[in-house]
Amino acid sequence: MFKKLWKRVVKYKIAYLFILPTVLGMLLLHVVPIFQGIYMSFLNLNQFTLNQYLGAPFIGLRNYYDVLINVNSPIRLGLFEATRNTIIYTVVVTFGTLLLGLIVALMVNREFKAQGLVRTLFLFPWVVPTYVTGILWGFMWQKEVGIINILLHDVFHILPDKPFWLIGPNTLWAIIIPTIWRYWPFSMLLLLAGLQQIPEELYEAADIDGANPWHKFWMITWPLLRPVWAILILFGLIFNVYGFNIVIMMFGFGAGFPGEWGDILMTNIFRNAFMQWNFGLGAAISVLLMLTMILIVYVWFYYYRKAEEIRE
Amino acid sequence: MPYYLRKRIVDWIIHVVMIAMLVATLFPICWMMFCSVKDNLDILIGKIALSNAHNDTYEIFGDKDNLWVLTSDGGINKWDIKTFKEEGYASTQTQTTHFLLTKEYIWVSSANKGLLRINKDDLKKWKEFKLRLPDFDKAKVVGTTLISAWNKIYFTMQYKGYEELVEFDPAAERTTRVYSLKSKLSPTQIRSLLPIKDKLFVGLDKGILKYDVKSAKVEAVYDLSQYLPIGVARMRAVDGKIVISGNTGAFLFDVGSGKVTRTIYQGTVLGLKVFGDSIYVGTNRGYKVFDLKKNTIKNYEMLFRQVRADGTVVKDSDFAPSDVSAFMKIGNNVYIGSTYGRVSVFDENANKVGRTSSARMGHLVISWINYIDMWRNVDFGLYLRNSFFICGMSMIFAMIFATLAAYALSRFEFPGSKLFSMAILATQMVPGIMFLLPTYSNFVKVTEVTGFPIKGTFYGMIFVYSAFYIPFSIWILRGFFAAIPAELEEAARIDGCSPIQVFWYVVLPLAVPGIIATGIYVFLTSWDELMFAWVLTSADTMTIPVGIRNFVGNYQNRFDLIMAAATVATVPVMIVFFMLQKYIVKGLTAGAVKG
Repeated sequence: MFKKLWKRVVKYKIAYLFILPTVLGMLLLHVVPIFQGIYMSFLNLNQFTLNQYLGAPFIGLRNYYDVLINVNSPIRLGLFEATRNTIIYTVVVTFGTLLLGLIVALMVNREFKAQGLVRTLFLFPWVVPTYVTGILWGFMWQKEVGIINILLHDVFHILPDKPFWLIGPNTLWAIIIPTIWRYWPFSMLLLLAGLQQIPEELYEAADIDGANPWHKFWMITWPLLRPVWAILILFGLIFNVYGFNIVIMMFGFGAGFPGEWGDILMTNIFRNAFMQWNFGLGAAISVLLMLTMILIVYVWFYYYRKAEEIRE
Repeated sequence: MPYYLRKRIVDWIIHVVMIAMLVATLFPICWMMFCSVKDNLDILIGKIALSNAHNDTYEIFGDKDNLWVLTSDGGINKWDIKTFKEEGYASTQTQTTHFLLTKEYIWVSSANKGLLRINKDDLKKWKEFKLRLPDFDKAKVVGTTLISAWNKIYFTMQYKGYEELVEFDPAAERTTRVYSLKSKLSPTQIRSLLPIKDKLFVGLDKGILKYDVKSAKVEAVYDLSQYLPIGVARMRAVDGKIVISGNTGAFLFDVGSGKVTRTIYQGTVLGLKVFGDSIYVGTNRGYKVFDLKKNTIKNYEMLFRQVRADGTVVKDSDFAPSDVSAFMKIGNNVYIGSTYGRVSVFDENANKVGRTSSARMGHLVISWINYIDMWRNVDFGLYLRNSFFICGMSMIFAMIFATLAAYALSRFEFPGSKLFSMAILATQMVPGIMFLLPTYSNFVKVTEVTGFPIKGTFYGMIFVYSAFYIPFSIWILRGFFAAIPAELEEAARIDGCSPIQVFWYVVLPLAVPGIIATGIYVFLTSWDELMFAWVLTSADTMTIPVGIRNFVGNYQNRFDLIMAAATVATVPVMIVFFMLQKYIVKGLTAGAVKG
């Protein structure tokens, strides 16, 4: 049996040669660090023991106990808020980008003058770097000098007072809206490509059957776009749970604390790890987050498979 | 309604909504670029339009026929005193402007244009005096101060640590002397000037200096920080005493004893003037008058017509109290300047506001100076170079290895290929910080053991980025290779090509568009990367995101500089993207829709 396997390995030696550098790189930067990271989550690795590397005191599940169960541990401060914010942020951003992207994709999929230019212009926000997005919207949300309050209060008289956007519960909107603004063009791009692959004959047949636009959308467009939006939801969930740049740059321009309504898990972990140098706790939260994400991806695949089977 | 008509209306509505969405989408980017050429003070007072935006009235002067309404952004309005009809208007396009009216001229001091002289009769006639000030940093100026005394003009710039006073001879039209006001209160910021007899009183942010100009000596120093902790913003002479005011109130200061003898008002003082024995103090709600002879305080709270930021009246019947920042008293009439450049006549006896009008303000200052300032303050060229080098090299390495691996994965079902492609997908599900924590420790440890530096070097960053983006690149590229028909390769094999020759001469040329698309994507993503660069770069290898983060952290209130930096970081990637957008749009959509 081993002989047979060896024969196949020799037969494909060119393939192994081709993937060798990638495998080496991934070993060094992905595989080994993951196991190291999991091991680090069992260590008391803080600013005093950081130079002992992996020889830091082994404390078993103490970090997990501090994160999950111990009510009195300092790490728990703000962790609940960060988790809550991350869930709201991720869900709203993922479905917001999908919805906005779908609406605009349907709009620009029609025939009109300067179609190419409009499509290109809609992609502009997606090219703005995320840290610039954070800085820019952080400036636009300012209470007195921010353009949003000036427009809402001074120009259009929609609001009676200028609200604080970067303090209090409004903060959640202040981080969600820029993220949607930055990422929806990508959804539009993919959905538009998906729309263009739907054969025209299906719509013609529906017209003959007397279907209205609403029916056409739900019966033809939406189901046929399923591979696209399914992957957009999966990627959106992963991407936004791990969102960092926009939020960290918006508050005090990368120096401030986002507050209890603006803090998300990534900023929380980064603060614990690299500002308080508590690597052990940071690794523990990361591992928990990773496990949660694997679960979400598994659920996603499960439902996607099932839906695929039903269709076939 | 006929079908075709309804269809056209619906189509038209969709079109309008689409264009509205386009405008809303592009607005933040345009706003960023626009703010990057605006002056910071214009941003701070909330000026948004290109011209004639309004802010508070800075000063009002009046003579027999004319009322001069002046604003701190350099708007000069000359009105008829009875009808409020505009007789002349000039905008000096200056910042932090201070005005001085003499018989023939209006003198204007500002941070960006120095000293200006404008003819009162013909506002078009200007003269600009370029002044060479010693150790002067224009970017820091928050205000200017200008007085005339002993046939000379004295002025200074307001910012912390600048203690020079410039003497200008208006007859000879040149600077005659520069005084240094160093005292035991140094370093301070000069806030106001007041000449009394042959002495000059200088209001600082900690107290008052009594200065003798002839001998160029500080004669006395009064520390008043317990009364005015932010500084002596205004001083007026009254009957041998000085009224001082600032953010915390207005007080009567006796020069002889060197003590504050009376508190007139506690609260923010917006305007201060003396007419005869009466001291006028402008507050957040109306104004107060202190009569020095009778020792009484009268309070006036008048109701104004409400105006919008553009000066138009909200409703004719709508009245509200307002803050008062400038006065001019002529006879029984008090001319009051308040929010949004509104000027009204107020009759003190009848307690009634009469004619109201809105002053035109100065124009928005648009200039490239922010970019020059920003470039001078931080080494932006270095960050740009670093970013281009690191991202470019990472892109090249990632593309070479990802192409090889993606080809192998799409063509050969070798033992372990399933595991390999699973691993590629799995890496995308792990948070970046999970890799960062151990990688950081590893880098530090390797350097400790071998003495070979990795953290903070170019090759360390390039290695991290290229290894980090390879899995995703493989994932996209695999779709491209799968789309290339296998028959082509078989034909080449039959013609006697080795596997490597097939890859090099047949497959690779066909895959170039996909490789370019993926390469750009890797470049854009690594240009955007902050977390790894934050931790793993040093001062020499800092990339743009980290440089910008440090920079904006140090200049929190210089929104103009921050926006200039943001624009500089955005424009290169925009250019790269739109030069090659055909490739990237096609490549990404092809990969994702199929995959």
